Amino acid sequence: MTRQGFLALVLHTHLPFVRHPEHESFLEERWLFEAITETYLPLLERFERLVNDRVPFRITMSFTPTLLAMLADPLLQARYLRHLDGLIELAGKEIERTRWQPPFHRLAYFYHHRLTTARQRYTDGYRQDLIGAFRALAEQGSLEPIASCATHGFLPLLEINPTAVRAQIAVGVQAFEHAFGRRPEGFWLPECGYQPGHDAFLKAFGIRYFLTDAHGLLFGSPRPKYGVYAPAICPSGVAAFGRDLESSKSVWSAEEGYPGDFLYREFYRDIGYDLDHDYVRPYLNGDGQRTNTGIKYYRITGKTDDKQPYDPDRALEQAAAHAGNFLFNREQQVGFLRTVMDRAPIIISPYDAELFGHWWFEGPEWLEFLIRKAHVDQQTIELIAPSDYLRHYPVNQRLVPSLSSWGYNGYSEVWLNGANDWIYRHVHTLADRMVAAARQFPQPNALQRRTLNQMARELLLAQASDWPFILKTGTHTGYAYRRIQDHVARFNRLHDGLQAQRLEDGWLTSLETTDNCFPFLDYRVYAPSGA
Amino acid sequence: MPTGYDVDRLVLMVRDPWWIFAYWDLRQDTERAARGQLRPEEVPGLRTVLRVHDVTDRDFPGEPSWQWMDIPLSGLANNWYIHTNAPNRTFQVDIGLLTAGGRFLLLARSNRVTTPRAGPSAVIDEEWVASDEAFEALFGATLGALRVGSSPGAWLGQALTGGWSSLALARGSGRAVKGLWFRLDTDLIVYGATDPKAVVTIQDQPVPVRKDGTFDVRLALPEGTQTITVTVTTPDGRQTRALAPVVTLRRAERPERPPTSPPATPSPESSQGIVG
Repeated sequence: MTRQGFLALVLHTHLPFVRHPEHESFLEERWLFEAITETYLPLLERFERLVNDRVPFRITMSFTPTLLAMLADPLLQARYLRHLDGLIELAGKEIERTRWQPPFHRLAYFYHHRLTTARQRYTDGYRQDLIGAFRALAEQGSLEPIASCATHGFLPLLEINPTAVRAQIAVGVQAFEHAFGRRPEGFWLPECGYQPGHDAFLKAFGIRYFLTDAHGLLFGSPRPKYGVYAPAICPSGVAAFGRDLESSKSVWSAEEGYPGDFLYREFYRDIGYDLDHDYVRPYLNGDGQRTNTGIKYYRITGKTDDKQPYDPDRALEQAAAHAGNFLFNREQQVGFLRTVMDRAPIIISPYDAELFGHWWFEGPEWLEFLIRKAHVDQQTIELIAPSDYLRHYPVNQRLVPSLSSWGYNGYSEVWLNGANDWIYRHVHTLADRMVAAARQFPQPNALQRRTLNQMARELLLAQASDWPFILKTGTHTGYAYRRIQDHVARFNRLHDGLQAQRLEDGWLTSLETTDNCFPFLDYRVYAPSGA
Repeated sequence: MPTGYDVDRLVLMVRDPWWIFAYWDLRQDTERAARGQLRPEEVPGLRTVLRVHDVTDRDFPGEPSWQWMDIPLSGLANNWYIHTNAPNRTFQVDIGLLTAGGRFLLLARSNRVTTPRAGPSAVIDEEWVASDEAFEALFGATLGALRVGSSPGAWLGQALTGGWSSLALARGSGRAVKGLWFRLDTDLIVYGATDPKAVVTIQDQPVPVRKDGTFDVRLALPEGTQTITVTVTTPDGRQTRALAPVVTLRRAERPERPPTSPPATPSPESSQGIVG
């Protein structure tokens, strides 16, 4: 171990379960499609290129079970291809339309090429199996995949029913094992939401570490000797790694961070909004509501509405420069930390994966440059996964981390405020009913068992942190409201039918085909032995 | 979706170091039974209150709480944000009827919650002691540069506003520019019809022809004068015809006066004037 310090890049991938077979096309399903085209495929391409070029690296990625379920779903796979075909057709028309505008003409070719390549890689390359592609990287060793909660439940606000908290974790671990064929070493607590005591649930499933926000460790007790630059061991024996705010900010912040650079692509100028409605309408959602297509022609330019055309080559050079800057700053950081620490520090830099490519278009390139530069340009820092650090330094300080999240202001207010607090009355009641029903039916018949399993699915889907988040932020609120309402109503109807011994097989079957995530789910996760 | 549930239940949740949140459901019978215990003279001035107990390290109600405060409720409230202003303390809340004489009739009791710390712990582990300099440096490295306000909330808020929620995809199309924004672009649609088997080109680029012989192309129109050469050729290449409309786009900074002279007549080469 010659390196002075370590850097752990952690990408959290997540999307809520959005699947609507009852509609021919559905606006919110595009979240998945955009993420595949703009984030998952580009990341896979970069990582595979690094592996082919024999550049050693370690990167950590968490995968939520809802995303895994959607990536593996044949209906959504088919719809993704249909979506992609539409965009390829649109990009082809754009090549025609922009003939007299060379900067846009060139970009139209650029997008057409990207989209056709994406299609070819998705079909011929991966046979529509992106999970398999990530699994291959994990088996090769560059990727450390880690688990997360079943439906991204924000655990501190589910605390009133510990069995429900445990079930979010249990189903998350199960989904991970189905996808990756191994037990997870690490766990991503949704929104970094940590409640003291929840580490014991992680421990029960063999998890070795999780991630918290900086103040989760800094405000832990006793005081952490190394701040966030070494893990702490929770009372259960699970390690907690704390987020480094300095490195996070340089990527996160829209103003001060790299993604706001004037040369980078402007997210908010999309032809889905900009062009003649009749022309783009066939490529929008069925109702004609304007939305993103991913075809964007402008660079950020500055604080002006007079945007200049995007130049991918200049943007790429800037991504390389920013990667060099990021690495230089980490080397400086490690140099400083070594003056006050008697061991090599670990800098934990977690980000939402969908930030890369979708929001920050040049993010995947930046990441590749960073990994290459870390390999050849310096000797100070080594890229590792958190589990690697635990092998280097098995002895760490014991403390109890503090309740915390990485949401605005650091606690729970994003998911608990006047816009969304009403949901907890329902979500908590459902959890109590689920636990009671699971105990009440230890030996169910086949129909009862299916009902109980579907109740568990509906409960988990209602618990997703995405709905209160959307209600708070104010876009797609109607959809979030409807989702809560649907899952609560479905659960209660199943529950009432079970209690009254009036089970409706046909309706149950339709629910099983609509909310079809987690086919392995066993409701007895709500009746754990010893509880 | 039901507005509430027919149970007696008071649930307490933590929002942050300074605020907790309570919601409740009460069965009508429960309140009726409690009212039944009142003497007639206790009815005037009767209020429903939340009684917020600080039960830190106390086994309440077996042991008394350190202190409590009452929050009078309005009739329709079924939830309340409680400003405890007390990080790292444990709370339990009772909902009940309070008479003018001070008698409290319990309707429901909550779970216990502990607010998080809003700053570093005072507890230090002897085996893991950092020097004061090292501690300052390590905390400063993370939070110090961002510590601007005097209250812990202010600097913590500053430090943490970079964080957000994990649903990057749900970002809408929010426009970053304030004020009256205005964009104007011009597309030109060239369309026509010919023999369905003919080969059509526009600006030397082939254009698909539909089964009924119609074709069209949309072109983003730049400023200046463009000559659009459209050719149709028989499949055997023997016969070709061409038409070449000329289009001028001129962008004026402000609306020009309409011409007072006689309206422009189409010139022989069929030019069209468009002012965008």
